[in-house]
Amino acid sequence: MVASDLPFLSLLIVLPLAGSLAVFFMPARWARWLALAFSLVPLVLSVYMYVLVWYDPAPAGAGYLSAESLHYYENSEWVPALGVSYTLGVDGLSLPLVFLTTLLSSLAIVFSWTESRRPKEYFGLMLVMEVGVIGVFMALDFFLFYIFWEVVLIPMYFLIGIWGGPRRDYAAIKFFIYTHVASVVMLLGIMGLYFQCQAVLGHATFSIIEISRVAPALSAGFQYVAFAALFFGFAAKMPSVPFHTWLPDAHVEAPTAGSVLLAGLLLKMGGYGLIRVALPILPAAAEAAVPVMVVLAVASIFYGALVCIAQNDLKKMVAYSSISHMGFVMLGAATLSPIGISAGVFQMFNHGLITAVLFMMCGVIHHSAGTREISRLGGLAQKIPAAAAVLLVGSLASLGLPGLCSFVSEFMVFYAAFVAFGAWMWLPVSAVALTAAYYLWAAQRALFGNFKLDLPEHEKGHLDDLHAHEAAALGVLLALIVFFGLFPSAVLDLANAASSAVAGLLGGG
Amino acid sequence: MAASLSDLAGLVAGNLHLAPEFILVIFAFLILGISFAVKDRRMLGWLAAIPLVLALFLVSGMMGLLDMRLLGFSAFAGPVSSSLAGGALSVDLFSLLFKLVFLSVALLAVGTSMAFLTEKDRHVAEYYALMLIASAGMMVVASSQNLVPLFIGIEIASLSTFALTAFRKKDSRSAEAGMKYFIIGATSSAVLLYGMSILYGVSGTLDIARLSQRMGEAAWEPATIIGLSMVIAGFGFKMAAVPFHMWAPDVYEGSPSPVSVLLAAGSKKMAFAAAFKVFLVGLLAAKADLSFALAVVSVLTMTVGNIAALSQTSVKRMLAYSSIAQSGYILIAIAVGTKTALAGGLLHVLTHAFMKGGAFIAVAAVAQLLASEKLDAYKGLSRRAPFVAFCMAVFLLSLAGIPPLAGFWSKFVLFSGAVEAGRWGVWLALAGVLNSALSLYYYARVIKYMYVEEPTVEAPGTAPGAGPYTAVLAIALAAVVLVGLYPQPFIDLAVRAAGVLIP
Repeated sequence: MVASDLPFLSLLIVLPLAGSLAVFFMPARWARWLALAFSLVPLVLSVYMYVLVWYDPAPAGAGYLSAESLHYYENSEWVPALGVSYTLGVDGLSLPLVFLTTLLSSLAIVFSWTESRRPKEYFGLMLVMEVGVIGVFMALDFFLFYIFWEVVLIPMYFLIGIWGGPRRDYAAIKFFIYTHVASVVMLLGIMGLYFQCQAVLGHATFSIIEISRVAPALSAGFQYVAFAALFFGFAAKMPSVPFHTWLPDAHVEAPTAGSVLLAGLLLKMGGYGLIRVALPILPAAAEAAVPVMVVLAVASIFYGALVCIAQNDLKKMVAYSSISHMGFVMLGAATLSPIGISAGVFQMFNHGLITAVLFMMCGVIHHSAGTREISRLGGLAQKIPAAAAVLLVGSLASLGLPGLCSFVSEFMVFYAAFVAFGAWMWLPVSAVALTAAYYLWAAQRALFGNFKLDLPEHEKGHLDDLHAHEAAALGVLLALIVFFGLFPSAVLDLANAASSAVAGLLGGG
Repeated sequence: MAASLSDLAGLVAGNLHLAPEFILVIFAFLILGISFAVKDRRMLGWLAAIPLVLALFLVSGMMGLLDMRLLGFSAFAGPVSSSLAGGALSVDLFSLLFKLVFLSVALLAVGTSMAFLTEKDRHVAEYYALMLIASAGMMVVASSQNLVPLFIGIEIASLSTFALTAFRKKDSRSAEAGMKYFIIGATSSAVLLYGMSILYGVSGTLDIARLSQRMGEAAWEPATIIGLSMVIAGFGFKMAAVPFHMWAPDVYEGSPSPVSVLLAAGSKKMAFAAAFKVFLVGLLAAKADLSFALAVVSVLTMTVGNIAALSQTSVKRMLAYSSIAQSGYILIAIAVGTKTALAGGLLHVLTHAFMKGGAFIAVAAVAQLLASEKLDAYKGLSRRAPFVAFCMAVFLLSLAGIPPLAGFWSKFVLFSGAVEAGRWGVWLALAGVLNSALSLYYYARVIKYMYVEEPTVEAPGTAPGAGPYTAVLAIALAAVVLVGLYPQPFIDLAVRAAGVLIP
């Protein structure tokens, strides 16, 4: 534990929550400033927490989710009659994601600085979403976990439904139904665990810590059922093939900042849940489910990449690439090895940074050129060189260029997969070639060649390049992409201890 | 004369714990009497609110929620458990919990009425008096330990609400609702009474506790089965359980909105108070035979209610169907019959009163604002009446069982009780969870209309607005959020109240 008297974790939840209330109740012209302030303070806090832990990344003690293995921990009773407690904790698995959440929330607010449509609701909902996501990454009580999980749905639904594109109605309701059904199934799994562990322990508890001690000893039959329920909830969120169909619709219709948060944060909840909850708590089922996970992961990687090649809409392409990249997370987790799990966490972190860049660029191009259709774009590099450069760097990062962050995580996933599953892992590796193909092809068609766009007379030859607030947000992200590409240990040192603990429970340590 | 006075004093002292009921009845007659002099609607409303607040105060004291000794009412210091009227009535935690619900709902209904009634409405004094009498009748039911006061209480409440339903007799929907409610209500009372009389014939007792004992000893005869079926049907009508539910949507939709609050959140709960006692105490011996049938009724009720609610275009009617579905959840408590499940049922009675009552109040507020109860009118409500829209959203999410709002906890305890009971209890709980997920669809649709869609209907310029409803909405909102964030004491209370029936 890092010595400190401040309840850091509660502050990370309370500050954005207070901020959202402030935004809702204050005049609209203050909305963005309040939102920025209330998202920057948690960012500073999380950076502070991160740096403290990075300075001394070894947890005080071994074990998974013990008081010693958690860097930060808060616990108080809430509804003792039902075994519900307010337990928050952060270890090396969650800290990078907590940092990512505060970072992307702030940057999404900066990026949408000029949003003029119902700004109070817009910025308020962004902060509510930050509360939900950060809560999911910190909750160590299943009940709290579920609440935060559900809290996330509501602002996202509204962000898509109010500020979305032409088919926003359909996309919003589809997003809501898919993910809500997944949550309900997950809830059933949680309730199953709750009642089974109550029978073993003799008292009711939702504590993930307590349940993680007891649940591995439950009968294999029950573990399979509970794992299937949890896995369904998490896989639909990630999303993995074949539960992915909500994602392209949601992304294409969502406003840019919504897409950034959706891809950058919401998908991570699925991967995080898998690694934090499903694998270590139900090890027997997890080991039995490895083939399923590998097949789904490889299918997602391939399917996502193949569909990307066929896309004409830039944003849709980035959306499908998320399915492909989240497949790596599942593949890493499926190895049940420390390296694979660390790689999964790192891949989530990197994907958050990179897709944020790509979705922001989709927004910039759409705004500036009036279309995202690759076939209508062309030669953008001549007119908006800065934007083109950023998009190119983002694409290179996403396809795994060495020196940029996702190269490290993907390489680690493949290494772990080869060790665990043997030579036929050449299959997912070959998908990297596809990834390179669709990104480079899209960049070639959209950015280079002749300028094709048919502009109205009055703005002939002029396209808006990056605005200052957009450049600021993108600049931070690109700097971090390079930084973590050069110093991957900044995340991996943190994640390794916790990953080893998880893998230890799975017999893979 | 002196002797009769001391008799009276003795009577008062002996029945002190029925003071809340007496206060309501006295004020009801007071309002009727005073209405010859006072014509002011608002004044009459306050006169109806005063006894409710007083009674609430006493009931909370008797429950042990307030320290009555400190306040100087040591006779009412709780928790009270007393048997009155020769054992025909009892004041205990179970009955007090229901009284708390009835009084709160009546207070919400009176508060709503003060905003709802206009100068065109006549017979305002009678209206308020009937509300008080109906509440007193419900409270008698909650206290009954004997089938006779039970039935009388039901009748007092029913007759009053029949008249209230048809209060706006010039409005054809209100008149139709009143007629329908009267016919169905009277018929179901007759069925119930007949069933009870057969049970009396079989067992030879009207006392609910003794009934259970006698039923255990008595052999099963065809008459017993007929009697039981009629009691189930009678309660089924009163609770609006499928397949006896058809009247409910028409009546709830047609009634004046404050009366809908009273019906859905109050008088329906009276049927549950009676059914809990009769089925879980009186017919305990028959429980094994009845429980599966009741489980089927429960699943049918929640499913039919939810599916019918899906396609409604009137928000008020949708709430009526959702009310049927919620009855289905509460029926789980009777079907399972364990202490935890009953505690969940009681808690759900409590939370449902506030969330459903609050939702009907919001409907009334919107109707005042836009003269419509249709879903289309709710488009863009968040910008026309932000507070009403926000309250409505919270009530609906709570009804859907979204944590951490009140409705979540009660459903949670209820479904946990079903799971703990074993056997098919798990499937009941599963049916409940899936139904809750289904219900979210139509609740969320209203929220979508309020927040996502652009306003279309032009608001009439002269509408008085939703202002007068703010206070009542705020009370209901506070209750839903309070129970949501701090459920522990309420769960404790419900468990202790359930302990009265199931030790």
